[in-house]
Formats: sequence, structure tokens, C-alpha cells
Amino acid sequence: MPIVCLGLNHRTAPVEVRERFAIADKSLPDALARVCADAGAQEAVILSTCNRVEIYAATTGDGSALLAALRQFILAGHAEPEGAVFYSHAEPQSVQHLFKVASGLDSMILGETEILGQLKTAYDVALQHKRTGPRLNKAFQRAFNAAKLIRTETNIQRGSVSVASVAVELAEKIFDTLNGRTVMVIGAGDTGEKTARALLSRGAQSVLVSNRSHERAEALAQELGGRAVQFDAWEKEFALIDIVISSTSAPHYVLDRKKLEPLQHRRHRRPLLLIDIAVPRDIEPEVNFLEDVYLYNIDDLQAIAADYLRLRQEEVAKCESIIADKAREMLDSLRGGPSPLGDARLAYDGK
Amino acid sequence: MVAVAIYGLGMFHAFFLWRRGFRRDDWVLYGLLAVGMALHTVAMVKRGFSIHRCPVNNLYEATAFVMWTVVAGYLVMGLWSRLRFLGAFASPLLFALGVFALMPALDPPHPTGPQFTGGIVSLHVALIALAYGALGLSFGGSLMYLSQEHDLKFDKLRALISRLPAIQQLERVMVRLVFCGIVLLTAGLAVAFIGMKAQQGQSFLQDPKVIWSLGVWFFYVGLLVWYRRADHGGHRLAWGNLLGFAFVLLTFWGVNLLSKIHNPIP
Repeated sequence: MPIVCLGLNHRTAPVEVRERFAIADKSLPDALARVCADAGAQEAVILSTCNRVEIYAATTGDGSALLAALRQFILAGHAEPEGAVFYSHAEPQSVQHLFKVASGLDSMILGETEILGQLKTAYDVALQHKRTGPRLNKAFQRAFNAAKLIRTETNIQRGSVSVASVAVELAEKIFDTLNGRTVMVIGAGDTGEKTARALLSRGAQSVLVSNRSHERAEALAQELGGRAVQFDAWEKEFALIDIVISSTSAPHYVLDRKKLEPLQHRRHRRPLLLIDIAVPRDIEPEVNFLEDVYLYNIDDLQAIAADYLRLRQEEVAKCESIIADKAREMLDSLRGGPSPLGDARLAYDGK
Repeated sequence: MVAVAIYGLGMFHAFFLWRRGFRRDDWVLYGLLAVGMALHTVAMVKRGFSIHRCPVNNLYEATAFVMWTVVAGYLVMGLWSRLRFLGAFASPLLFALGVFALMPALDPPHPTGPQFTGGIVSLHVALIALAYGALGLSFGGSLMYLSQEHDLKFDKLRALISRLPAIQQLERVMVRLVFCGIVLLTAGLAVAFIGMKAQQGQSFLQDPKVIWSLGVWFFYVGLLVWYRRADHGGHRLAWGNLLGFAFVLLTFWGVNLLSKIHNPIP
């Protein structure tokens, strides 16, 4: 009874195609029923996220016939999209693909973990509606285990790959804790707002927002639960500040070494993290040479995110080797006799 | 000597860890230092039995005791995987102290009629040894601080992937260890001044090692007061700490040889 997989994802189809084939959560039980009834699958799981729509199915019959039927099912009511947007896998590639998806190796952001939660939810829906059986139960349970193993044995999920999360990670390397820290946002840009939100989510206590347009500063301060400060008065608040996120559109430096040195004395030389995401830059690079001052500009943050991504990519071969081994083990164990549904369910619930 | 050689191996291994930026927990280094400590402990116990007292009576023994406290402290902290990276800093320190301890003339034969005997001497030596152990650990903390500070400013990815704690935490550890070192050094010196009397014709205040010890005490107290009063960050404290302990390591041996009280002729 082979396991097959048919789907499309962010690599093969643009969003305007993916959204046409997406299946809403509430329609999943009905879709699963139709896959089993119309396409002839004995077991089925449907994964539908913003980046992919995939059907995993198992049959006692011919795998190729099932793939053809799944293609008909997914195209029902839709015009055939241009180009090769669908991919299909039979064993062992179908199982390896499932393991890769669970581990985040097939994700847009390599190694991300959100997909594992989405895959568990998709499996739960199928399990609750009794659309899974011994083969898919075992395959999904082993996929979750493989994802966990890869997370602990490799660096595929190491580090941050967005500017905001890199900034948070840097802050955690400077301050012993982010609890109670005060963040100042100078200039109310989108990335600055995201970075401030990320810092708040990790424990930063308060946010001061300063912008040329005071109304915009007040609006953002309200959204972030902070306080707006007049643009020409932000220096007066400096004694309170631990982290500055600057993203103004000023054509000159907003903060330079000459201005910062006396401000640092007022702060009793506590460490100061400066995040300059403005182009042209808001903060003079020379301030990085001051003691207890750590300056990062947009290039630094993007370079770190890119380096992290490179580190993750270096781990791909190791992950693929683990996946190949685990998929082979799983298929060998299936040939030795499928595990009963109850066992699989227990093992999955217990993780 | 074998224990020191193993600490040296640990240092060699630590060199590669430094280059990798402490990316992984390292059981190899932890294991090497554990083996080194086992041999070190055996050597100290054997010497203690052979002289029928606590083996902290001369410079060799005192340095060996300091090393033992450093490696024991590391092995306990290293049980937590997050702190296991500290071995990369402890192993060079242990190796340097070990080489220093094995220098000739640091281990003279024990005099038949010691100038000072009894529990007060052991207490004095133990307190002083613990004080230099704390200052040695602070020296390690300073190395970590400066390494982390450099990476945070100029090698940003390495700062993030290294296992070093936050720089503010390192500063706090450094300050606390210097403070502990000062308290122990004060207690060790006070025990000697109060509990021991120099032989006729000798004065504590004319002994080179006593003067040197008071100098070290004033240096560290001054460093801490300057750090607190002048609102200086950890950078200058770390450099002061490095220079202070390097001075201690480089001059301890020579000053000890000059001291008649601490280096009696057998």
C-alpha cells in the first residue's frame, strides 16, 4: 500500500496560483472525505498553508492511478494552471518529502518551525475524522520524530533570519535581561516598529517614540503601549534609554559621537544598544568606538541574518542524510507489518 | 606534572574552540580537565600524607591549591551545558599556573623547624590561595568580557553564535569575583598580622612579599573604587584586571624568593 504525495508550494507556484487551490480549515473534513471517496485513497491528510497545498494519501491499489486521481480532485472546478506547478511523489520520495516538510527544509524560511505545527494540525484533523490508517499514522508520527531529532542534532533552526529578531538576539547578548529595558524609537518606520514589538515581546518594559510628525509618533506610541516624545526633545529622555532604534529619513546624522559622549555620562555608562536601520544612516559610525556603546546598522543586521541562513544551508546535507535514514527505517518497518492505529496515536500524543 | 600536561592538552584543544567561536558544548575539554583534576587531586593528597599537614606551605603548593580550586569550580559549573564553554578560558589559565608552579625553587624542601606552624598558617595560606583563585577566575572573566566586547563591536555574527553570556552579566561576574578576592586577601593578610609574630630581627612590614601583597591589595581596592566612582564601564576594569593578575603571575615567584619569612632556609 504505497504512500503518495501531490501538491504545489511557494517554489512551484506564485501566490495568485496557490491561493486558488488553498483549502479553508472548515472545508478540510469534506475535502478529506472526497479524496477518499472519489480518488480512491484509503488514507489521506491534507496540508493547506499560505505556502503550500499538499495531499498525502495511501492506497492498496496502484500509486500512479491514485496520483492521477488526486490531480483530478485538486483541479476540480479550476482551470489548469500554466507551467509545472504541481509535483507528485511516490515512495520513497513521498515519505522523504513529508519528513523534509516537517523539518522546515522545504519552507520559504529554511528551518522555520511554524510548518511543524501546521502539519500536526493537518494530521489531527485527518485523525479525528478517521481518514488516517496504519501507514499515514506511522509516516506522520515518524516525520514529527525526525523533525525533533533534526532540531536537536543539527543547527538548521539556529539563529534569526529577520532584521527584528537579529536585533533582539543582539540585545540579549548585551543586556543580562531585557526585562525592564526602555526602548526609544526615533522615526516611525515599519522595520523600527517591528523591531520594537520584538523587543517588547521579549520583556522590554517601555517604548518612547519620537518622530518629526508628532501625531504619527503618538499613534505608534499608542499602538506599542508607550509614550510619544517631541522630536526636538528626545535627548532629554536619554538617561532612561537602553536601546535606540533609529529610522528617520533625515539626510544627516541624528546622533553623532560629539552628541553621544555627554549623554553617556548622564546614563552612568550603562551599555547602550543602537540600531540604525535608516538609509542614509542616522547614527555616526564612530560612536561604535565609544565604550559601552554597540552600534548596528541595517547592513550589519542583514549580513548577520544572511550569515545565519548560510549556516542553516550548510546543515542541509546533514539533515537530508538523517531524513534518508529515518525514511528508510520507516518504510522497512512498514514492510515488516504496519503498526496498529492505537499505537501510532499513543506515540504521537505522547511525543 | 602529568596533570599540567593534560591542562596543556586542554589549552591546545581550547584553541580550536576559540576559533570555532564556542559553538558547541565541549565534552572533550571537560573530560580532559576532569582527568587532569583527578591526577592533580591524587598528587595533592599524596603530598599531604607525606608531610602530615595540609599541602599549602610553599609557593608550589599554594599555586597547586589555587589551580585545584579553579578546576574544581569549572567542573561543577560545567555540569550545566550553558557554562561548559568556560573550559576554553580555564584551560589556558590552568596551564599557565601549572607551568609557573613547576618552576625550580618554588618547591624548597620543608624546613625541619618551620618558622610558623599550626592552624593559623594553614588558614592564612588557604585564604590567600582562595583570594588568588577568585582573582584568577576574574582574570578569566576579563578575557571573556574583552573577547565578547570585541566580537559585539567588530565580529558580530561570532558574538551571536558564541556561548558567552551577555556582556553585562560578564561585567557583574568580574566585579563580584574581584570583590571576593579582595575580601579573602584582606582576611588572609589580617590573619597573618594578628595571629603570627615574626622572629626577632624580622618585621612583616620590611618583608618584600608582605609589601608586595599590600601593593596588590591596594591595586585591586583602587581598581574597584575607581570603577565605582568614575562610572567606568567594564572595559577598563577588564584591562585593569588582566594587567593586575598578569603582574601577580609574573612577580609572585621572584618576590617569594626574596622573602625570608615565606622562603625560610632549610
